[in-house]
Amino acid sequence: MNDRIPLAPLQKLAWYQLIVFAIAVALYLVAIPYLAWHRHLTWGVAADPALGMFGVLGLWGFGVYFNYDRKRRAMVKLDEREDFINQRAGTLGMQFFWLAFVLSHMGVWAVYNIRHHTTVPVDVLPLLVLAGWIVYTVTQSIAILVQYKRSASNDSL
Amino acid sequence: MTLSETARLKNRIRKLRFEHGEMTQQELADRIGAARQTIIALEAGKYAPSLMLALRLAKAFGVKTEDVFQWDGD
Repeated sequence: MNDRIPLAPLQKLAWYQLIVFAIAVALYLVAIPYLAWHRHLTWGVAADPALGMFGVLGLWGFGVYFNYDRKRRAMVKLDEREDFINQRAGTLGMQFFWLAFVLSHMGVWAVYNIRHHTTVPVDVLPLLVLAGWIVYTVTQSIAILVQYKRSASNDSL
Repeated sequence: MTLSETARLKNRIRKLRFEHGEMTQQELADRIGAARQTIIALEAGKYAPSLMLALRLAKAFGVKTEDVFQWDGD
């Protein structure tokens, strides 16, 4: 007999984070042509203010509620396997974060050096931090979902 | 524990559940304080539990640990 297994709190959190990210990307892609049309800008110029749409990622902060059990009025207790999944996903996310973060910083620095600018503009730095955090969170979410999928594919009762 | 070692760890959890009044995976998970997905992973041989979890499983069925898990390694 097969039945649907309710999503574990970690899976809910991962899906929530990915959905919010997808919404932010979709809004960004919609905002570029809209701003270009509304403000009479080229798409390249409109892409800059459209980055504001990534402010939607602030909703990730509500993700903590998926780990809260309202009935017990306590944080959800992960079992040992879920702890492993969480740890591995976090480690993977951190590795990708460092890769992207260091590469992007060195890449930006190289580009400005080649163009004879000796300093990186200050407004680029928050974007790099945001990009790094996105890489961490998205990688972590995907890793959580993949691990649950791999280790629990047999759902028979 | 490596993946190949995990694959050599056999268990009788599914059989024991049915011998204990067709206990559901969720009921067993609640008894040992684990998630249902963990029971599924254990039954599928995709997860090697810690000693504590193995002991809790054995206690839930009222049997010895070696009656639940068998390792055919060297």
